[in-house]
Amino acid sequence: MYSFIGKRSIRKDALPKTSGTIKFVNDLEAPGMLIGRILRSPYAFADIRRIDASEAERLGVVVLTPDDIPQKPFNPRLVSIHEVTYKDTYVLTKKPRYVGDAIAAVAAPSEELAQRAIESIRIEYERIYEPILDPFKAMEPGAPLIHERIMKGSEWVNVERNMAATLNYVEGDVDKAFRESDIVIERRFKTGKRYHMQLEPKSVLCIPEPGGKLTIYATTQTIHNTRILVSQIFDIPLSKVNVVKVPIGGSFGSSIQVNYLVPIAVALCLKSGKPVKISYTREEDILDHSNFVFHFRMKIGARRDGVLMGAEFENILDVGAHQVQPYPLLGTSLGWFVSMYKWRNIRYISKAVYTNKVPACALRGYGAPEVQWAVETMMDELAEELKIDPIELRLKNYVGRGEIFWGQGPTVKSVIKSDGVPELLEKGRKLIGWEKRSHPSRKKGRYRRGIGLARGFHTSGAGGPISGEVIDYTGCILKLNEDGTLDYITALQDHGGGTLDAHVKIISEVLGVPPELVNLATASTENTPYDVCTHASRGTYAGGEAARRAAEIVRSKIFEYAARIVGRVVNPEAFKIKYDEELKQAIVYVEGTDIKIPLSEIARIAWQKNWGTIGAFVSYRATSAPPSFTVYFVEVEVDTWTGKVRPIRVIAGADVGTLVNPDMVEGQLHGGFAMAWGMTFTENTVYEENGELAGRGLITDYKIPTITDMPTPEDFIVITADTYEPTGPFGAKGLGEAAMNPAVGAIANAIYNAIGVRFYELPITPDKIVKALRERGEIP
Amino acid sequence: MVDYEVVAVFYRLPEIRYYRPSTLDEALKLLGELSEKARILAGGTDLVLDLKIKRYNVSDLIDISKLNELRYIIDEGDRIRIGALTSIQEIADSSVIAEKAPSLKKAADEFAYWQIRNMATIGGNLCNASPAADTAPPLLVHEALVKTASIEGERIIPITEFFKGPRQTALKPSEILVEVAIPSKPQPPWRHAYYKLGRRRGHEISVTSIAIAASIDAGVFQDIRIALGSMAPTPVRARSVEVFLKGRKVSESVIEEAVEKLSSDVKPISDVRASAEYRLHVSKALLKDMLLKLVKGGGE
Amino acid sequence: MLVRFRLNGRDIELDVPSNETLIDTLRLRLKVKSVKRGCERGECGSCTILLDGRPVTSCMLLTPQVNGRDVVTVEGLEGDPLFNQLVKSFIDNGAVQCGFCTPGILLTAWAAIRENRFRSMDDVARYLGNLCRCTGYIKIAKAVWNVASGVRK
Repeated sequence: MYSFIGKRSIRKDALPKTSGTIKFVNDLEAPGMLIGRILRSPYAFADIRRIDASEAERLGVVVLTPDDIPQKPFNPRLVSIHEVTYKDTYVLTKKPRYVGDAIAAVAAPSEELAQRAIESIRIEYERIYEPILDPFKAMEPGAPLIHERIMKGSEWVNVERNMAATLNYVEGDVDKAFRESDIVIERRFKTGKRYHMQLEPKSVLCIPEPGGKLTIYATTQTIHNTRILVSQIFDIPLSKVNVVKVPIGGSFGSSIQVNYLVPIAVALCLKSGKPVKISYTREEDILDHSNFVFHFRMKIGARRDGVLMGAEFENILDVGAHQVQPYPLLGTSLGWFVSMYKWRNIRYISKAVYTNKVPACALRGYGAPEVQWAVETMMDELAEELKIDPIELRLKNYVGRGEIFWGQGPTVKSVIKSDGVPELLEKGRKLIGWEKRSHPSRKKGRYRRGIGLARGFHTSGAGGPISGEVIDYTGCILKLNEDGTLDYITALQDHGGGTLDAHVKIISEVLGVPPELVNLATASTENTPYDVCTHASRGTYAGGEAARRAAEIVRSKIFEYAARIVGRVVNPEAFKIKYDEELKQAIVYVEGTDIKIPLSEIARIAWQKNWGTIGAFVSYRATSAPPSFTVYFVEVEVDTWTGKVRPIRVIAGADVGTLVNPDMVEGQLHGGFAMAWGMTFTENTVYEENGELAGRGLITDYKIPTITDMPTPEDFIVITADTYEPTGPFGAKGLGEAAMNPAVGAIANAIYNAIGVRFYELPITPDKIVKALRERGEIP
Repeated sequence: MVDYEVVAVFYRLPEIRYYRPSTLDEALKLLGELSEKARILAGGTDLVLDLKIKRYNVSDLIDISKLNELRYIIDEGDRIRIGALTSIQEIADSSVIAEKAPSLKKAADEFAYWQIRNMATIGGNLCNASPAADTAPPLLVHEALVKTASIEGERIIPITEFFKGPRQTALKPSEILVEVAIPSKPQPPWRHAYYKLGRRRGHEISVTSIAIAASIDAGVFQDIRIALGSMAPTPVRARSVEVFLKGRKVSESVIEEAVEKLSSDVKPISDVRASAEYRLHVSKALLKDMLLKLVKGGGE
Repeated sequence: MLVRFRLNGRDIELDVPSNETLIDTLRLRLKVKSVKRGCERGECGSCTILLDGRPVTSCMLLTPQVNGRDVVTVEGLEGDPLFNQLVKSFIDNGAVQCGFCTPGILLTAWAAIRENRFRSMDDVARYLGNLCRCTGYIKIAKAVWNVASGVRK
């Protein structure tokens, strides 16, 4: 059906990546560049009286202390609208609120000198407080306030009981629903504090240009928000700040916000008048950000026949020492919850709470893996209680086609138009051998196997018909070159998943120009329309649609020019364009006639005859954020003696509408499963009582899965649903986060099926498994 | 005034004087002069990290990697001699070791990951003396002999007396470990087993590791040696278990009773990797299983 | 101190501080940027180079340690047929996502295939300890195994 969409293709950056020529931020250099380093607080909760940097100054380095920076609080994430942006962060601070908070910075010609200068700075403390590491303790009356006053939009607000934000919601009558339920289950869940462990530690390079302009290269998912934040903090007009898009080494949400080192580098650059590069060590990166800790209390009620009656959901988020985006996360957590199943009556109470830990930011899924783990665990329990097949229970209650879907929280709603859930469940159950499952009580011996299921979704972006609290729009420029090739410029970032290759394929499909002749141009803020951020799995759905619209505009202009060339009176609407296999390029033609002109010829003539450049400038907001549904069937084997678990087989099912890049769909599912495996079993940053990271933040003790933890290629099967999303480019939806979201629930349910134990706290370490088995007398 | 402590952001290596002797004598003379101020650099996989995180304060490094005379695996019939600079990967690849000290081969196979195995040396692994040292349990059950050299001459230290505490050995500041010799006793036939437990399935520091060498004849444990890593301040031999088993008839109940004695031989800690209860429980379960498999005629 | 070594077939002579790590010498002095700083603690393998043909982590090597030795990075394997086969297999199999771990993995796989270490998929897992956060390793394993099993025939 399609010439390019759905076909396996070579990604454009494959050769630069395999040859090592691709440059990430830390690979860039500028003549006369200084290296910056940051002095970080050794205390988790302290007030500083004096900073003595005289020794550092004597070393001849550029020094910055909090007094050198405009004391304007900000929030590094500009995705929410101004009115609900909570600001408690300063570029450098005298009131460090976690171990690692930035106090001072230096820049020197060498890293070695910069580090020596940092180590020479002396700090005198006014007061050192006992760190608060538990959000419940933080909320207790009388607990010291980590922040007393913060800004919300343009207003100062007082912080009560260390609560950074709250959100409550009620629909229907939950108490009545529970009274009318035949069964009510209540459970508490707690996650660990995970770290993104994107392979590229964050970096930034800031270069001063003649005329007072700044050029910035940063590890970021949003060049435009980086530009805007820098402009806001330092009062520099946007026209004087240019942020260039560079490849990033994975992200998973860690660079949705502007990273703390960016304004520091800018400040050093402004003071020194020289280019400044800052690059984190891995430990600094782990201190810069990690994920939220989620504490859930969920209560659900159902009828005997499996119909859900109501649900109560209490959510306490541990946000760490500074807000990055807890308020919208309170909303999306509710959104994920509400969009999983038709609860009919809902009560939601949530609070985001400060603690003296590393500031939390979004991690792939933005609460969805956590919520979907909890919900799918409870649905599994409900199915067992009611003696209904777990798959039937899901099908009976899930929010699917034709229903209203909340997507990213209360202000982002749309109607579901494509839904592959029944198909995926049907195919998956056969492939895994669902009917052959036996109850955990029947399993004996040292090694026990279990099969688990979970379903979930993620939105494709955060668009919607009405503008709410989330900024979400994108844009691109597409132009036809004088030889018929195309330049495509977009601010959207590719984290590695191949989003931009999808855009190119979409353009190729519309214009018949093969992907090799579509150039992914160097993009920066000054030559692209605004794009909010590549997150929320919006790259293909929103960005790809903008690309498609641009291609349509270009196409109609091409036909106009073609009409001029053809001479005979031809209605421009009669023209078509397609990729010609023989000529290996796009040709414009009219069906039923001999009219046939290569696009390259049209472009050349337009150039020679002074007709003007054909191009399109698109700024696009999606009116919908449709769900991409995913389903995981996982078989695991538990070694009851050591508590270690290994994956036997995985069936990963994805409904992404039209598959633009089949290879990349599989790649996302593989990677998503691996991340889910780590989330389930090993990943957690642990804090000492004094607020320091145990193990000094070394990744020796932050274990992400290695190749030995994954199933072999033959044991990981990917299935896709045959669906079409009418609001997406060529029917496509996103996948980046949906690829991971339900996997944790599936693994957890598989563990239950193997050993008959459910766990409500992540990570499920071998320690916990063995302890639980011993307590139940399953093992001596 | 409070001194700023470089908390988690260390990466600047200290300034050092770097020496690269070409012969062992040269190295020993250097070490004799510099003594406590110097450390020996072989593969560097532990030392360079320790310098980065400021575990040690060192002004002199003596790089002995040029001393090829310390890189060998020689089968002398009644013993196998391994030069201290032999890399862990070389040990894993050696057919001699595979045949005569299979638990050492297995430990080498499962050591960290390939990049590290190519640089790490057996001498370094022992001298670093981490309680989790992977080569230690197999060497302990083989009752290997460590040979050291200094300007004062050579010394033999039984491996069982080599580890004094976490990162502390019996080495004098002027000594270099030059060889590890594994006695290979063909008679009576020994059976070997090894198991390393980590948190992932590879690329790991052990949570517990167990090596066993057993001589079983006429249904009796004629001789038995059991060593564990990551279960005490140093790698240890499970003496109480050994004493109980030696001379007893092989049976499941005997093994069960013996394994219970493990508690008095080890002192596991709770850390970010695992709790003490877990370590002890799992070690017992694994030890029992390994012994049962050994007596049935298989190794691990 | 003076250090002499061979880098991608070229003789290099440098005067470096004795505490300089090889990764810094390669990246900052010699501008070899394919070698990545992923953790600088020898844990992730993004800084992998081949030292006398064997993969090692350059972040854990002091430059003086490579005196008289041979260092190879992906820049040096450009014309190598086996390397090109591997690259093609990676690209065809979609084994490249963000690309940060890719050079290190390619070098490791290349060295392992040359030494005939990949005799089974288990072996692939045993020798490929590099960390990757994007791909879940499955396409990497497939890409590597395709070449290894093809080469063995």
